[in-house]
Amino acid sequence: MAICQFFLQGRCRFGDRCWNEHPGARGAGGGRQQPQQQLSGASTNRNEGFGLPENPFASQPEEQKDEKKLLEGIVKDMEVWESSGQWIFSVYSPVKKKPNISGFTDISPEELRLEYQNFLTSNNLQSYVNSVQRLINQWRNRVNELKSLNISTKVALLSDVKDGVNQAAPAFGFGSSQAATFVSPGFPVNNSSNDNAQNFSFKTNSGFATASSGSPAVLGSSPAFGAAASVSSAISTSAPAFGFGKPEITSAASFSFKSPADSSFGSPGFSGLTTSLATGPISAPVAPAFGGGSSVVGSGSPGSHSHTAFSKPSNDTFGNSSISTSFSAPSSIIATDNVLFTPRDKLTVQELEQFQSKKFTLGKIPLKPPPLELLNI
Amino acid sequence: MRMCCRLATFFFDDFRATQEVAAGRMRSASAVVRTVSTAGLEDFGLLGFLPALLGFLPALLALALLAGARSQTPQTLLLPAAAFRRGETPRVKMSLFGTTSGFGTSGTSMFGSTTTDNHNPMKDIEVTSSPDDSIGCLSFSPPTLPGNFLIAGSWANDVRCWEVQDSGQTIPKAQQMHTGPVLDVCWSDDGSKVFTASCDKTAKMWDLSSNQAIQIAQHDAPVKTIHWIKAPNYSCVMTGSWDKTLKFWDTRSSNPMMVLQLPERCYCADVIYPMAVVATAERGLIVYQLENQPSEFRRIESPLKHQHRCVAIFKDKQNKPTGFALGSIEGRVAIHYINPPNPAKDNFTFKCHRSNGTNTSAPQDIYAVNGIAFHPVHGTLATVGSDGRFSFWDKDARTKLKTSEQLDQPISACCFNHNGNIFAYASSYDWSKGHEFYNPQKKNYIFLRNAAEELKPRNKK
Repeated sequence: MAICQFFLQGRCRFGDRCWNEHPGARGAGGGRQQPQQQLSGASTNRNEGFGLPENPFASQPEEQKDEKKLLEGIVKDMEVWESSGQWIFSVYSPVKKKPNISGFTDISPEELRLEYQNFLTSNNLQSYVNSVQRLINQWRNRVNELKSLNISTKVALLSDVKDGVNQAAPAFGFGSSQAATFVSPGFPVNNSSNDNAQNFSFKTNSGFATASSGSPAVLGSSPAFGAAASVSSAISTSAPAFGFGKPEITSAASFSFKSPADSSFGSPGFSGLTTSLATGPISAPVAPAFGGGSSVVGSGSPGSHSHTAFSKPSNDTFGNSSISTSFSAPSSIIATDNVLFTPRDKLTVQELEQFQSKKFTLGKIPLKPPPLELLNI
Repeated sequence: MRMCCRLATFFFDDFRATQEVAAGRMRSASAVVRTVSTAGLEDFGLLGFLPALLGFLPALLALALLAGARSQTPQTLLLPAAAFRRGETPRVKMSLFGTTSGFGTSGTSMFGSTTTDNHNPMKDIEVTSSPDDSIGCLSFSPPTLPGNFLIAGSWANDVRCWEVQDSGQTIPKAQQMHTGPVLDVCWSDDGSKVFTASCDKTAKMWDLSSNQAIQIAQHDAPVKTIHWIKAPNYSCVMTGSWDKTLKFWDTRSSNPMMVLQLPERCYCADVIYPMAVVATAERGLIVYQLENQPSEFRRIESPLKHQHRCVAIFKDKQNKPTGFALGSIEGRVAIHYINPPNPAKDNFTFKCHRSNGTNTSAPQDIYAVNGIAFHPVHGTLATVGSDGRFSFWDKDARTKLKTSEQLDQPISACCFNHNGNIFAYASSYDWSKGHEFYNPQKKNYIFLRNAAEELKPRNKK
């Protein structure tokens, strides 16, 4: 049978029904699941706005479908949660028996009220109101993230659901399952620069993070940068809610290490970063805000352990951009957005598509950095 | 009548139309049920056919008024037989819209106030001198004590005790103070002591005869739950706290007999010897067995998707604890058996305390379930929620028995007395909407309701 070109690009509309061959994806889903598959594919498309009818790299069609259903369920639950006036400060799990999804903290009404009373007695109601507002904003951000279901959110969610996130602290991490995907298609060349990567503290990475709002596309690019992920091994702590940012940051950071000729990603976007990196390791205090979730990737260090170190406040530190204050060089990066990201209109359709897909397809990896809008923290 | 009820039992529906209807209204009621049945819904949780039901309500409403005008005597708590001697079916009194005087014919505050005063739409008995701040917990005295005594802990740092007489009169008896809001109260098995748990990280034992309270427990964080355990070979007080520990105290010693670690902060607990259930933050759920000494029996994966709010153990026909009901902030209660013959079928969840909207697909308001209590005799359960309603359910028939009218404040706690004749519920703000909706001036109430008839289980024929 002819190999389905659309499937290779990750956008075959027929899925299991396709008359062409889909290498790697078996028709084992069975006819029963096919209509579901198509339907769910269609609806997720509508929900997300991304062209993702099928993930050609999922190992099992059934798993795919389950995941899709799970994700849809999550989206629906989020919508209901928002509109129903439910108690906000609650953990959530998509399916009854599964572990909680990270990013939500449990606060009972009594605890909140006790806080109120304490602040009342100390005449500090404003700070109570502020902290409640902050919590609400965090919740809202997380809910919106889950509703919009970008690729990186999905990947993180699925790893959450499988591996379980057991800490009180919201901790998004990329589990080791992701690591495998990143490293495997890699370019061997990159591995050699692993050691070099280690020297760089993740201050620079964090600077990167403040600039980028998270880059699923960059994350997706990491197959090309097996070593890129290993940079994060230098990072020892995890970043609740900003776990997304890190691996991408690190992979971006690695761009600058490698000679431009090596990397499939062009260097121009990261030249600014190079200079900052060259300034050497930066002291760690803000580092805790960013976790080395992806550190699992290259070095195999357990990213999940680092998650436990962080409680809510770390979200705040991130939000307060205290990071940017701690070093000047990265802040210059922040200022020059177009150096790090390409505006969406400057990308070709194909490049845009690549950034939007879950993984880069070999031979089609864009040379330009991803647009700001596609990044997601 | 029974036929209709039988038909109706298949549906998770509001049974006001079908039950307690005098003969004259039977036809319309059957029509309703038939409409409902043609909708063809069997699922316990579906409310999609409510529009059909609601369509009939205006007609039933008019009829209820007519019937209602007949009986307006205030409810007596403990004499159900006498009250119904007029030959009406027992439930006419508690008719469609709460009590019969639901439309202001009784001349109470309905007409007197300029604004519609909805603080007691069910026209239940109000407890005198209720606490000044939100009531966090209620507890009735055990059967060993003659009469009924009610204890309530509130956010005004006090614990109050009333004697509830058979006529419905409540007499405030005594009061004790903590230095922080009181989160849980319980009685000792002989009815001589009351244990109170507070945000001041301590728990106290209140000797009612001497009206003295001494501290018996200490935690590192507010104590959220307190229960008395009476085992054949030991007795102790179990306290669960936000410091993630469960401590067991012999009231004579200042050191705990035992300390068990919890995975997270303790949110709610219940004890019926030899079983104890603790629900914690992060959807943790642990069952303990209390024979010989308390030990962890099983950690259960939560059947609910959101934060746990309240838990209550139920017993089987042989009066042995066999499972529990768990309520969450998401308007849902899970019934979970510990060792069911068929877990997939026997354990289930049901939605409650939600505003119906037009149907389930339209956004509905979802309220937290603040308390669950099981009727000691019938085994049916009551749930109270942030929406200001209470509901009675039959978990074996998987049906709703009754839902109350909406009070103007959330219902924060509930409790049955030892023989199940009295259902007490507290109407006060539970912080479900944050500090903006907190009105310190608003009065907090505790209501008492005759629960002997309304909680009779549906017969599954």
